Amino acid sequence: MDVFGYLLDGFEVAFTMRNLIFAFIGVLIGTAVGVLPGIGPISGVALLIPVTSSMTSGLSPSDAATSSIILLAGVYYGAMYGGSTTSILLNTPGESSSVTTTIDGYQMAKQGRAGAALSISAIGSFVAGIVALIGLIFLAQPLSKMALNFGPADYFSLMVLGLCAVSGLSGKSVTKALMMTVFGLLIASIGIDVVSGVARFTFGFRQLYSGLEFLTVAVGLFALGEVFKTIIHNEIHSGKLARIEKLLPTKKELKDSAAPIARGSLLGFFMGILPGAGATLASFMAYLLEKKVSKNKANFGKGAIEGVAAPESANNAAAGGALIPLLTMGIPGSGTTAVLMGALVMYNINPGPMLFKEHPDVAWGLIASMFLGNLMLLILNLPLVKVFAKIISTPPKYLIPMIVAISVFGVYAVQVTTFDLILLMICGVAGYFLTKNDYPVAPLVLGLVLWPMIENNFRRALTISNSDYAVFYKEPLSAIFLIIAVLWITIPLLMKLKGKNVIINDEG
Amino acid sequence: MNKTFDRSLSIGMVALCAVFIFESTKMLKGSFGSTIGPGMLPMVLAIVLSLLSLINFYQTFRVKNSDEQKEKLQYKRFFILIGIATLYCLLLEPLGYVISTFLFLFLAFQIMEKGKILNSIIISGVISFGIYYLYVVVMKGTLPGFPEWLGF
Repeated sequence: MDVFGYLLDGFEVAFTMRNLIFAFIGVLIGTAVGVLPGIGPISGVALLIPVTSSMTSGLSPSDAATSSIILLAGVYYGAMYGGSTTSILLNTPGESSSVTTTIDGYQMAKQGRAGAALSISAIGSFVAGIVALIGLIFLAQPLSKMALNFGPADYFSLMVLGLCAVSGLSGKSVTKALMMTVFGLLIASIGIDVVSGVARFTFGFRQLYSGLEFLTVAVGLFALGEVFKTIIHNEIHSGKLARIEKLLPTKKELKDSAAPIARGSLLGFFMGILPGAGATLASFMAYLLEKKVSKNKANFGKGAIEGVAAPESANNAAAGGALIPLLTMGIPGSGTTAVLMGALVMYNINPGPMLFKEHPDVAWGLIASMFLGNLMLLILNLPLVKVFAKIISTPPKYLIPMIVAISVFGVYAVQVTTFDLILLMICGVAGYFLTKNDYPVAPLVLGLVLWPMIENNFRRALTISNSDYAVFYKEPLSAIFLIIAVLWITIPLLMKLKGKNVIINDEG
Repeated sequence: MNKTFDRSLSIGMVALCAVFIFESTKMLKGSFGSTIGPGMLPMVLAIVLSLLSLINFYQTFRVKNSDEQKEKLQYKRFFILIGIATLYCLLLEPLGYVISTFLFLFLAFQIMEKGKILNSIIISGVISFGIYYLYVVVMKGTLPGFPEWLGF
């Protein structure tokens, strides 16, 4: 069957009533998550995993996984749409990926062009979402076919590369990011080892036999961590919303933003594929690019529509692009995709080259649903933007305790132990203090998610090579991956030593 | 940046790594024909992590203290909220979902902002009953019900 045949099957899956509803709920919640400054896409997705798993409890594993991942991915790209709303109207980015949008977006709003900025960012996001999907469709099969030829040593090195890439780009200090990555891997090894049946690092605690649950750790670090930050720093937004007068952009504005949208989409898409780069960096680079190629540079910072169109397209395209390494190779390149991967693994569906072979309904159903989801977002966002902007005025007094309660509910519903609830609280406190002191927590979760595959491939590689460690650099592909991994960490370090500024990605 | 935090965390990590390395030395031998034991890779990781922690510890001496932001931090409210959240976790099973969630939300709303007691009662009541009804009655999930001594 060719790509289009698979895609048609995917649409058949996506067009079932249940999946349409799931996609709708996903993008709706995603937009809300994007608007709310307290919750980012990563904690939004983490919080919803338990909810989706209970919503899909009666279904077959494959159907349940498809519906859940459709909803969770909807939250992810929906948040990219929503993030721009508050950037433009309030000068408060809902997400780190919308920080650049505030520069020109808020200026436009001040000039009474809020409607144009909002509609251009929605249109740009839509175009970018579609570009990313087309890229995903055409790259998915060749990439997963290529990945099928990887041996265990290649896989091991590729995952090391993924981890290094994420550590190298997140946080202010590479040392701290690497510490978090290795710590994530290390605590992932707690529990009964599946190969030997030995209980590792459980210190006699029965609760530790099954290991630290990824869901508990992710919800604690991200959702509760952010909640605690809001409480301690008393971050309550009382800004005045800019008025929206005319929603549709003028012909000139549309014409001016066409090229930036195209450039932003392409740039964002490729930045999204790169592990560690992500939506925040993509939007930032797209803005810089526009500023460089634009004829009227002086307009930037004073309400240039290009300065809204490009970054908003880029962050959405990056969200789509980030799904490529996850789906085709099983390597998440960011915190949010790591959480999505954790969700898939919970359903016993391993993302990676076999996904397109063994579960084409999951993979293609997701891709097709993203077409529909993007369309829903465009339709939802244009007329309802005022309603969404109102979400930001939810009093934090009610919002914060509710997030805590939902986290507790979510973790308990899936794990059913008090132990996990206590672990949740500990992770929440740890998440706050780590993030506050520039220790990024996304690499920790990435390590936690990737550990089983890393160890498995490490062992298989060594079993095949008769315990010859040289296999990791004798296999050409594996050697290339390891060299890139080393370069990824050392080049920024060398650049820093030379006193150059290194752009980092502070996406959760 | 907070040097005390960086240093304590680095020392804590090294100590933790020491425990992990000690434990993993017991598991270096493989079984069932597997040549590497379950302790092998964790031991490598623990060594790497302790080295990274030492580098991090060393770096705290090289960086000048950046200007500390003078921001009023609300630690008191944070500790109270952590306290009742922990109590909530511990009482979830003995008291049941509805009662413990109601109590937690009501107290937390009041801690965030005193006053409007009736509003707090209504919202916490709706949420705790709502989630329980949706999840247990509609979706047939399991949550701790009401305590037995209530006689439901």
